[in-house]
Amino acid sequence: MTAKTLVNSKLVCVALNDKAQLAALEGTFNEAPYNKPPTQPVLYYKPHNTWSVNGADVEWAKDFDGNDVAAMAVGASLGVVIGKETCRVSTEEALNYVGGYTLVSDYSLPEESYYRPDIKGKCLDGSAPVGPEIVAADKIAAPDALSVTISVNGERKSTFPLTQMQRSVAELISTISYIMTLQPGEVIAVGFAGKRVALAKGDKVEASIEGVGTLSNTLGGA
Amino acid sequence: MRHARIMFDGRELDIDIAADDTITTSEGEVLNVALDSDAITWLPPVKTPGTIFALGINYADHATELAFEPPKEPLIFIKHANCLTGHKQVSYRPDNIDYQHYECELVAVIGKRGKNIKREDALEYVAGYTVCNDFAIRDYLENYYRPNLRVKSRDSLLPMGPWIVDTADIPDANALKLTTTVNGKVTQDGSTRDMIFNVPFIIEYLSKIMTLNPGDMICTGTPHGIVDCQPGDTIVCTIEDVCSLETRMVSEQEYYGDKY
Repeated sequence: MTAKTLVNSKLVCVALNDKAQLAALEGTFNEAPYNKPPTQPVLYYKPHNTWSVNGADVEWAKDFDGNDVAAMAVGASLGVVIGKETCRVSTEEALNYVGGYTLVSDYSLPEESYYRPDIKGKCLDGSAPVGPEIVAADKIAAPDALSVTISVNGERKSTFPLTQMQRSVAELISTISYIMTLQPGEVIAVGFAGKRVALAKGDKVEASIEGVGTLSNTLGGA
Repeated sequence: MRHARIMFDGRELDIDIAADDTITTSEGEVLNVALDSDAITWLPPVKTPGTIFALGINYADHATELAFEPPKEPLIFIKHANCLTGHKQVSYRPDNIDYQHYECELVAVIGKRGKNIKREDALEYVAGYTVCNDFAIRDYLENYYRPNLRVKSRDSLLPMGPWIVDTADIPDANALKLTTTVNGKVTQDGSTRDMIFNVPFIIEYLSKIMTLNPGDMICTGTPHGIVDCQPGDTIVCTIEDVCSLETRMVSEQEYYGDKY
C-alpha cells in the first residue's frame, strides 16, 4: 500500500457493467460455467497492496515461475468516493452520500474468465492507482453523463461514456450499501469499458475524465 | 501466549492472556476479571485489519458435499473489515432466504511483510492463529467471481476470535480437531488434517502474486458438516488449542435496527 493512497479501507470495482460487453458475451454467459447472465452487479476488490497514486510506476507482473507475464491490460473507471457512512440507502438518495469523485485505473492480467475470483489477475502490487485528486461531489452535476478515456503513449485507445453502463452510479451505491456498510473514503470503481486496453512494457497510460482529472502511470520493465 | 482486543470498564484494551488466564493490558495493568465474564466485550482480534483472504472448498469432504471436484489450485476470495465482528457478538440472517450456513475455519494472521515467501519459511510470517466463522448465504450464489461478494462480504458475517494464539504455541496447525455446535448439538466434527492446501502452501501461493502485510488474515476453509442457521441460534466454532468462537444469530431487522 502506498502511504499517500486516496483510498480509505476499501476499493470495490464493478465488472461487466458495459452494456455492449454484456450483449457481446450473452452467448458465453448462457453456457457453462456461467449458465445464465448475471442478475446482480459483478463486484471484485482491489486489496490494500494494490493501491497506488498518480505518477507511480506500475510493475510488469511475473508468473509463478518468476518470468514476466505475456500480457497485461488496463481499464479505467470513475471512482466514487463515499462521503459519509452509507448503509442501506435507496437509489434516489444514494448520490447524497458521495463525497467526491476521482479516477481508478485497474491494471491486471487480461480478463479471461469471470467464474472465480481473479486473485492472480487483479491483486498485483500497485495495480490500482487512484487519483490524481478527489473532486468534491458538488462540482459534478451528473456523474452518469461523464466519459472515461484511456490514452497510451499519447494515443487515444478507449472512450467509455458512462451512459453505456448497465447500472447507474446511484443504483450501484444503493445495491452495494445493502450488502456492506460503506465508510467515508471508501471508493467504488463503477464501471470499465468492456474492452480493456492491451499494454506493453514502458507504456505511459493516461486515464481521463473531463472535470475530474487525468491519472497518469507508467508500466515498468521497459 | 494469547492476544485479544476487548472493551472493558468503558475502555478499549489490547490484552495478553497467560496460560493461567491472567489478563494483562498492553500498559501492564492486570485486570481482575474472568475470561468468561459478561463484563468483557470481545472485539475482532486483529487491531488493524489488512486484506482478509478466505479459501473455498479447501477440505476434500466439503468439496464432495458441495458437489465439486477438489481444486487443483486454491480457490481464494477476499473479504473486508465490514464483515468482522467479535466473540459473543451477533451475526444476521437476511430476510427471505432459504439457506445460510456457518463455516468454522482456522485463521492464520500475518505478522511480517513478505513477497515470494517459500513454503518452508512461511510460518515465520505468521503471527498466530485464531478461529473465524465465515458465514455464507447460498441463495445469493451466482457464477461470477463465485463466491460473489453478495454471498460473502456482508456486514457481521465474519465473526473472529476471541483471541490469537502465538504460532509457536501451535506445533502443528494441521492436526487440530475442529467442531461446530448449533444450540449445543454437534453439527460439524472434523480436523485441520484434512485441509487440501495448508497455510505454508497458501502463503507461498499468495506471495507469488502479491505482497502480504501484517494484519492480513488467511481463513483456511471448512470441512464437511454445514447446516442452515436461523435467528435465535447460538453457533460455537471451536478449534482445539486455539479458541472457541460463539455467535448468536439475529434477524436482519434486529441487526440493522433504525436502518432496517
